Amino acid sequence: MDTLKEDLKKHIIEQLNLEDLQVSDIDDDALLFSTDGIGLDSIDALELIVLMEKYYGIQVTNPEEGKVAFLSINTMADYIAKRRT
Amino acid sequence: MLSIFTKSQMYITAASTISHQPTFKNAGFSKLIEPLKIDSELISPNFKEYIDAGLLRRMSKILRMSVTAAKDCLQQAEVDQPGAIIVGTGLGCLQDTEKFLNNFLTIEGLLPPTSFIQSTHNTIAGQISLSIGNHGYNMTHTQNTLSFEHALIDAGLLLGEGNDNIIVGAADEYIEILSTIGEHLHVKPEVNLTSGASFFIVSKEQSGKSIAKIKDIETVGLVQDIQESIENFLINNTLKESEIDLVLYSDFNDLKDSGQVSDVFKRFENSSELINYTNIIGIYPSNSAFALHYAVDRIRDNNKIKSVLIINGLNKINLGLILIESIEA
Amino acid sequence: MSVRITGIGIVSAIGLTVAENLSSLENSKSGIGKIQYLDQKGDYLVGEVKCSNRELISRLGVKSQPISRTSLLGLAAAREAWGENKHSSKLRTGIISATSVGGMDQTEHFYRDYLNQNNPDFHVLKCHDSGNTTERIAAELGISGYINTLSTACSSGANAIMLGARLIEQGKLDRVLVGGTDALTQFTLNGFRSLMIYDDQWCRPFDESRSGLNLGEGAAFLLLENEKSIDFSGNETLCCLSGWANAADAYHQTASSPDGKGATLAIQNAIEVSGLSALDISYINAHGTGTKNNDLSESVALLNIFGDNCPDFSSTKPFTGHTLAAAGAIEAVLSVLAIQNSIIFPNLNYSRAITETGLIPITEFQSNQPVTSVLSNSFGFGGNNSSLVFSVNNS
Repeated sequence: MDTLKEDLKKHIIEQLNLEDLQVSDIDDDALLFSTDGIGLDSIDALELIVLMEKYYGIQVTNPEEGKVAFLSINTMADYIAKRRT
Repeated sequence: MLSIFTKSQMYITAASTISHQPTFKNAGFSKLIEPLKIDSELISPNFKEYIDAGLLRRMSKILRMSVTAAKDCLQQAEVDQPGAIIVGTGLGCLQDTEKFLNNFLTIEGLLPPTSFIQSTHNTIAGQISLSIGNHGYNMTHTQNTLSFEHALIDAGLLLGEGNDNIIVGAADEYIEILSTIGEHLHVKPEVNLTSGASFFIVSKEQSGKSIAKIKDIETVGLVQDIQESIENFLINNTLKESEIDLVLYSDFNDLKDSGQVSDVFKRFENSSELINYTNIIGIYPSNSAFALHYAVDRIRDNNKIKSVLIINGLNKINLGLILIESIEA
Repeated sequence: MSVRITGIGIVSAIGLTVAENLSSLENSKSGIGKIQYLDQKGDYLVGEVKCSNRELISRLGVKSQPISRTSLLGLAAAREAWGENKHSSKLRTGIISATSVGGMDQTEHFYRDYLNQNNPDFHVLKCHDSGNTTERIAAELGISGYINTLSTACSSGANAIMLGARLIEQGKLDRVLVGGTDALTQFTLNGFRSLMIYDDQWCRPFDESRSGLNLGEGAAFLLLENEKSIDFSGNETLCCLSGWANAADAYHQTASSPDGKGATLAIQNAIEVSGLSALDISYINAHGTGTKNNDLSESVALLNIFGDNCPDFSSTKPFTGHTLAAAGAIEAVLSVLAIQNSIIFPNLNYSRAITETGLIPITEFQSNQPVTSVLSNSFGFGGNNSSLVFSVNNS
């Protein structure tokens, strides 16, 4: 699970051009879409849907579903683990 | 024929350029500048000083340059909110356009949307408005080599309508494929293809911040007689060739050998200083915006320069004319 | 303010002329269907102009090539709007077009061949830039001098009309052809897919179940004239453009603000410029793309301005598809038709109001309506919002 989270952070930093962030800067439970957390927006949400398909073969067809799954690194990792099985 | 400023005036209160030359935050650059070198590189100020990291991370070259130059202008003029934002761009956001072309032609699955969103020409003006929270008039003109002149004309209309402190500027970005395209179309420019962004603040009243005045602007699309167009422009402004101190012109590439153009220069060469600004800044469709900044910088530096004429003939079918005067004139 | 409109021309999925478009509207006949002409895999619903490039070139008698589909569509509409008007050295004549794709319909074929190293035709790139799209139209019509192109995404067409009116109002031009044109491209179709706002079913503007837009293509132009020009041309005034405004939402790169700030400002200022009051508006041709976000934000703006007295409104995009930079111009021509013919167009594919706002559009074609003033909205990416007001000619 920890490697999954590490990889996920790497992919997110790359896909979203988070130039100033390192993997270690992103806490597992930091809110990705909150300004107190990572401060992502709705364009990033779409980029995350692309990321899920590209790296994990998971199709998020309903953007609403993404909203819940993409709360934090923890929820994303859970979502990936669940969808993979 | 379109002669714009019969009534309202247009004063320049700030100017900022990011280019392949040391133009940024460097008043007096026109004295120091040398012709463009083959290996010149686009200057890269610390964009983070001007742009929020959340916006900056997605921005291509043209967006970074433009937002930074626009914000630098606001700081210079000490203006919080401009009355409007008007941008000219000949080819728009090429980097994102090419990226999205690449993406949809090569990726089988879902497509990342960011490059599509940022491929539209109005991303530049939109990002300026977004980065300062401006709700005013927001416009993007794209008429290849006359894009900047059209943006300026629009700014003049707005000043006439009572708007004030307008951000007006132009930007274009170089991407590698432009050189390949040039080779295949047998266009071999003598000067580098470059990127550049020049922005200004214009206002309707003269103030302590005013550095020059734009007297008139004209665009002649599908121009038939360049010489006659220039003559009429000067007549409309009750000026003789000999009263122009400095003429800034761009390449009349394909017209060099036609009698028409050499006649144009003959009329000025006895009394005016003639400078080819494309040799300084390189080739991009909206490089006449740099010429305006260069003119302003020269005027600020030398009180003998009262009138400057920019003759934009970068594309042989289009003619752009801008007349600038010093404040004292 | 008031600028006379004396000519109109339109090419869209529902017809190649003004008459054909009017007939489709009267018969509630949509032009949206499966892809016939665009080189794109998939069963997407699109509003294509039912004419190939070859047919357009021969219809229009265009000699010199390459030429983009965007220019061809624009030329067809501009020529209809220009009609039999004569050139005169005494009149300052200009043209302002709007486009978001320019020659992308050609460039994307080039780029595929370029990537595959399949003998790409570099010459088609001569018509890539948006300015060229307009220069080609101007050259065919014999217009030189003020030739300009605006590109502000989906509000471009409305902005071109507005700029033309301002140039006439300030006495800079005597007459000006204004409008917009955009061809359907793989670039834009895939772009809106990537934003996950492309509806695989028919678009349903202002409906609770709406889930995206269908793209269309087309062009429309209007001829604006001042008194001096009309003295020369003797043209009849169809109606007037009386109000216009543009405002920035400054909220988000693509999404509209939930409080409809930019849209509200544009509508309010356009009505103010027209000298009318909100109560004078008889019909609103809404932007109404069918995306969750636009239609909600636009509805909120309508409530902000009109409160409980929202005039009859509809989106005509279920007829034409969303034609991007041409949309503002196409819908301007439809607004002129509404005033000329005392008609109101139905909002097709509607069944249930948006829960948050409850606004109900007109769903049946209406004739014999007292349509004296029409508000037309166009909102684009980057929060670019424009509104126009058209009014019956009272002079």
